[in-house]
Amino acid sequence: MKILIIEDEPDLAQSIAAYLADENYHCELAGTFNEALEKIDLYHYDCVLLDISLPGGNGLKLLEELRAENKQEGVIIISAKNAIDDKIKGLQIGADDYMAKPFHLSELAARIYSVIRRKQFGTTNIIEQNELRIDLLAKTVSIEGKEIPLTKKEFSLLLYFVSNKNKVISKSALAEQLSGDIADMFDNYDFIYAHIKNLKKKLQEAGYGNYLKTLYGTGYKWVI
Amino acid sequence: MKNLLNLTLRRSIIYASIVLAGSIPVYYFILNKLWLYEMDEHNIILTEEAGKEDSFLIISAVTILTVIFFGLLIGGLVLMNRRISKRLWTPFYDSLAKIKGFDLNKQTPIQFEETGITEFAELNKNLQKLLTSSISAYNQQKEFVDNASHELQTPLAIVQSKLDLLLQSQSLTADQYDIIEDAHKALTRVSRINKNLLLLARIDNSQYNDNETFDLSNAIEKSIDLSTQFADVKQLHIESDIQPSQIVTGNKALIEILINNLLNNAIRHSTPNGTIHISLKNNEIRFANNGSDALQSDQLFKRFGTANSQTPGTGLGLALVKQIAERHQWKVGYQFFQQQHIFTVAI
Repeated sequence: MKILIIEDEPDLAQSIAAYLADENYHCELAGTFNEALEKIDLYHYDCVLLDISLPGGNGLKLLEELRAENKQEGVIIISAKNAIDDKIKGLQIGADDYMAKPFHLSELAARIYSVIRRKQFGTTNIIEQNELRIDLLAKTVSIEGKEIPLTKKEFSLLLYFVSNKNKVISKSALAEQLSGDIADMFDNYDFIYAHIKNLKKKLQEAGYGNYLKTLYGTGYKWVI
Repeated sequence: MKNLLNLTLRRSIIYASIVLAGSIPVYYFILNKLWLYEMDEHNIILTEEAGKEDSFLIISAVTILTVIFFGLLIGGLVLMNRRISKRLWTPFYDSLAKIKGFDLNKQTPIQFEETGITEFAELNKNLQKLLTSSISAYNQQKEFVDNASHELQTPLAIVQSKLDLLLQSQSLTADQYDIIEDAHKALTRVSRINKNLLLLARIDNSQYNDNETFDLSNAIEKSIDLSTQFADVKQLHIESDIQPSQIVTGNKALIEILINNLLNNAIRHSTPNGTIHISLKNNEIRFANNGSDALQSDQLFKRFGTANSQTPGTGLGLALVKQIAERHQWKVGYQFFQQQHIFTVAI
């Protein structure tokens, strides 16, 4: 899987690349508008991470260029602006997702994962991992043909883990993922335990091995 | 408080009445002298009684005349003063009305009218200068907040990503993990504060469309639904009484923030096992949760007004609530009644 990271902040670009490198992703970096334009013209990528404010031009122009050439790359805008207008405009031009800085790398990995899946597996979008079978379109999970009834939150948690396999995920990243924009900071992260406990229990009862490990007391890792 | 026009008029009236009152004995004295002189000249001798009667007559005549003239004078003065002053002070009242109607948030430019009077022209010129500099200072401050929080996002993103990477290193000990987690927590807080500051600045700059029509009842129900997981942890009970399909016009995203912030506050500041009451009826949204002491209502809605180490919020939640409410011409209120914190929004 090839990913192009268009981001003028080298520190951030390198962090993203380093995080994604283990996941079978091959990352290329572009730090300026022109560099990005050249790469987009020459190569094909599975997913493009796009910063809007770039030296040399507006990132949204690159997106227009991509769509004008009818390229089907999945595009995720990563912007420091977090302005609703920008978001709407970006999505209208044809971005697949929008993330406001700062974000957790695990969150980014989950978004990339789902954008690539959406783009490449149109109608039958099924993830299989050992005995686990996740149908992304129907939002159902089954183990050896037996369906496991998961709540919405548990389902999105499971996807989050699956798309960040073999990574340590911190409590705060999970809290962010579970609460979204609504929790204007809860100091108390206890609500995570309830969701994780239920997910673990349901998977184990259905006969799935214990892949979700607790690390260092409060961190989690989906070990495959 | 005295009106400027009446002030000058009163002085004139007092002066006129003193002069006229003082003139009565003078008239009497002079007329009396003349009268006696004329009588001496023509060798007329009056009896004492007749003399007294004459004096009395003179005094009454003079007094009546004086009162009549005084009346005429005052009437004239009042009428004249009114007409002249009205014309004279018109530019002043014009400027006053314009300044009164000025709102720093809306910033509709003020154009003072030409007066042709030096003092007023000077006054208007300086008012204009004062207003212009206030507007520019206000705009600069808003822009500064916007730019500063915007510029902070990228370094924050770098720190966050580096911490996430650090978390992946194989040799990490549990202690080190805890340190990273603490740093993460603080970083989340900074990010939230920053996002809220940015949001406040954006609302100030009117960058939102306010013409969406949507179902407020639904929005509240949705917010309650999403917040239940946080309430459950504290074993809080949420009781709601939402009048169905209340339609409002405004910015949906902002109004959702208003609801979430009030609801989150109620959850955060409730004592465990408590009950939170939420209602929407009679054009009022109401959040009530139990508490021990009344909050300082004058500080409550100010930016960072309530921030301290005991309340781990961003210190901006209620400021946002107020700002969003004001934008929609809604009114927020707080009261402490029967050991309950009650926040209301009149829509």
